[in-house]
Amino acid sequence: MILNVAKIICAEQWRYWMRTKVAATVLLLGAMLTIAALVVNAFHIDEAAHTRDHLQTEAEQRFEAQPDKHPHRMVHYGHYVFRAPTPLSVIEPGVDTYTGNAIFLEGHRQNSAMFAEQRQSAGLTRFSSLTPSFLALVLAPLFIILIGYGSVSREREAGTLTLLLSQGTTRWQLLLGKLLALITASCLFLLPLLLACLYVAFSNESALVVILFCLSYVVYFLLWATVVTACSAIFEKSSVSFTVLVVIWMSACVLLPRLGSSVATNIAPSIGKLEADFKVEEKLRSLGDGHDVNDPAFKKLKEDLLAKYNVDSVDDLPVNFRGIVAQYSEGRQAKVLNEFAETRMTEELEQAQIARQFGWLSPTVAVRSISTILAGTSLETHHRFLREAETLRLEFVQALNKVHAEKLDYKLDMNRNASEEAADKAVVGADNWAILAEFDFKPETGSTRISNALIYFIQLLLWMGLTALLLQAAVRRLNP
Amino acid sequence: MIRFNDIKREAGFVFGHRQIKLTLLVVFLLSSLSLWSGYSEMQEQQATIERLLEKDETERNAVLTHQSNYGMVAYYAFHLTYAPPSPLAFAAVGERDVFPWKHRIRMLALEGQIYESDTDNPELAFLGRFDFAFVTSVLLPLFIILLLYDLKAKEREARRFDLLNVTARNSHAIWSSRVLVTLVPLALVTLIPFIAFSVVNGASVFQTVTVCTIVIGSIIVWSAIVLAIGAAKRFANFSATHLASIMLGVWLVTTVIVPVTGHTIINASVDTPEGGDIVLTQREAVNSAWDKPVEQTWEAFIETHPLWADKTDFDPQRDSSFNWKWYYAFQQVGDQTAKELSEAYQASTLRKDKIASYVALLSPPLLTQRLLTNAADTDVKAMVNYENNVREFHASLRKFYYHHLFEAPEFSSASFKQLPQFSPKIRKTQENTNED
Repeated sequence: MILNVAKIICAEQWRYWMRTKVAATVLLLGAMLTIAALVVNAFHIDEAAHTRDHLQTEAEQRFEAQPDKHPHRMVHYGHYVFRAPTPLSVIEPGVDTYTGNAIFLEGHRQNSAMFAEQRQSAGLTRFSSLTPSFLALVLAPLFIILIGYGSVSREREAGTLTLLLSQGTTRWQLLLGKLLALITASCLFLLPLLLACLYVAFSNESALVVILFCLSYVVYFLLWATVVTACSAIFEKSSVSFTVLVVIWMSACVLLPRLGSSVATNIAPSIGKLEADFKVEEKLRSLGDGHDVNDPAFKKLKEDLLAKYNVDSVDDLPVNFRGIVAQYSEGRQAKVLNEFAETRMTEELEQAQIARQFGWLSPTVAVRSISTILAGTSLETHHRFLREAETLRLEFVQALNKVHAEKLDYKLDMNRNASEEAADKAVVGADNWAILAEFDFKPETGSTRISNALIYFIQLLLWMGLTALLLQAAVRRLNP
Repeated sequence: MIRFNDIKREAGFVFGHRQIKLTLLVVFLLSSLSLWSGYSEMQEQQATIERLLEKDETERNAVLTHQSNYGMVAYYAFHLTYAPPSPLAFAAVGERDVFPWKHRIRMLALEGQIYESDTDNPELAFLGRFDFAFVTSVLLPLFIILLLYDLKAKEREARRFDLLNVTARNSHAIWSSRVLVTLVPLALVTLIPFIAFSVVNGASVFQTVTVCTIVIGSIIVWSAIVLAIGAAKRFANFSATHLASIMLGVWLVTTVIVPVTGHTIINASVDTPEGGDIVLTQREAVNSAWDKPVEQTWEAFIETHPLWADKTDFDPQRDSSFNWKWYYAFQQVGDQTAKELSEAYQASTLRKDKIASYVALLSPPLLTQRLLTNAADTDVKAMVNYENNVREFHASLRKFYYHHLFEAPEFSSASFKQLPQFSPKIRKTQENTNED
């Protein structure tokens, strides 16, 4: 019974919207924008995936096609890894356009990611971007406000509210009907998004992740539809309800996310990579230069090695001492580099988490955190990319150092600068370059991402509770 | 003609309104907060530069005392380059969180170094900065809409509209003075904190006035839009909130739709080389030099540096390990090979920025944003200028070391007194941009 009356009220509201041009325009505009954003983004991501795939293969082929060389030269020749977009980044590109997606890997250094797309956008997309997530999180609420701010107060101003309530419609039925109308209207924005998710679900993304991703957007839309209906019932006049809702929207969608970012920058400033580099250098200097076997830092290594093979000089070792030193110092250096890299990543993550605490103040921030984490376009996933790149770097550099130690004669090696002929002899065959592990970046497993997003689901639950209370208050206060 | 009495009466009216007072207070707080946040961020950047400069100097001196030949010094000595925040950067952080503003570079091929970025936390950049430019270009229009949308409708709904028109000496003057007494305080609460911060930060009077003009211009444009919609005959029968919806629609189109459409079109129409290609090309060129006959490197090098044509021979006695001249020559050749791509990359960045400046003519918020970042020297152009400063500095390093490597004087620490020092270029005067 409740539902039947609600349905009639909902249908009435729709008839009203179709009659007034503003609502029809808003609905049409919103639906068109969402579809445009999906199409543009899907093409963009598809192209990016292909380009990066192509560059990755090319980088691997070039590496393996190198001629006979001294193995240490391959360490400096280096390798590139490219990060392919995740399936859900069609909807939520997240930090991807800000991070850069290529890293040059070489011996002795950890490089940062290069070529962030955002630099090529001439500042046009700093506030807004044609991404489905921006439209859904920031613009859709405004659209819902524009069509819904007067849904109840209009009836009151026209005097029809008294009529409705005196004819036996209960307050719950009335609000439910209005809410239902607003929810069905907002489906026009939501539906294209959900369809895109469905499409993604058929790719290699975990189904649970896609479902939770969709669910958080659905809940977000429900929240706004409820808040708008409730405000329209609580305030006597349409103009007051309108002003209040626009202010709520400004704070939740526009102001608080940015405020979070600025607060995080200021209360937890992180030292940049350059500054950390100095500290790394300081520490490394005490560890010795891996190019120089006579560095005193390697004395102990030398003694141990001589004792192990029971020989008197490095010339008699069955392995190339320079290669051993390179291996040893690269490993030790990597430890220092990683120690600092981990500190930096922890700092960055702490900053991001401060900004995400603003999810307690704004549901937009909460859903944005959920959305980027689940889509694999959050800071966590970027860090994972950096870590995997580093693992690959150390792996191939050490594999080359192993070749250096085992396949290149020490005397030939020491003699390499004497003449061009000597240099030509101090090489190993090109067949040794087939050491690269294939780099195929995947975000964290579904369950890891879900558990990373857990606290933000709690934020969202809080908002659901608060909104339900608001709706209840609106029902109680609804007077003709 | 607006009379003083009208203004006084309207001022009394406006300030008797709780909602207006509250709005002004909120704008004042937002403006102050955004300025404080930008200010403390720029203070931190300045402090970072100072710390880096000190460490950079120590580090380089350590290299100079430990090495005994020019090739080794050139290999191990890094040089800090940086773009300090301008005195106005606190008001518009602009592109400083996406483009690098500090690099440490050395004599190796520059193309391998210049795309390294030591930028901020990407997640914070993604959420965006809450700076003064954001407050004035995105939020202020919304406040103007909220303040002015029901200017007349409010009176109509309160059934005072006709009374007001009849009792006033000049009905036009009432509304003009009411608009004035609303907007002038709005401009004041926005700008007074800014002026205070710019005095503290040592911005010049000219710069401060420029920013104030831009903000006031933006307020005028938005008021004109809002009032024009309010007065349009077409919308005469619309309720105040319907009118406000239309105003918000204009905000939406100019703030969101014009920029993102512009972005999509620009991206589709301007060809940009893949950044990855630049570094791959450069690396191939540098690394393949080891396997090529030495003459090939020299040929390519001498083409651009004919001065050293007769000095490419090398003395095995003196340069005991290997030939540094040749080593740096192939670094140079690496850059030369990637030059075309790299120039195309930068040109496309600038071209996109140029087209964006035309797009901005259709969007007051974008225009405000661009003018402010331009005044604060934090726009794309400023960041590209910094990149070019680094390129110039690297060229001067090369000049210094080429001299010492090719002329081959005895190694002396005293010669490093001539070592080029990076000094950031500060824009002296405000150039006029095509956006003005």
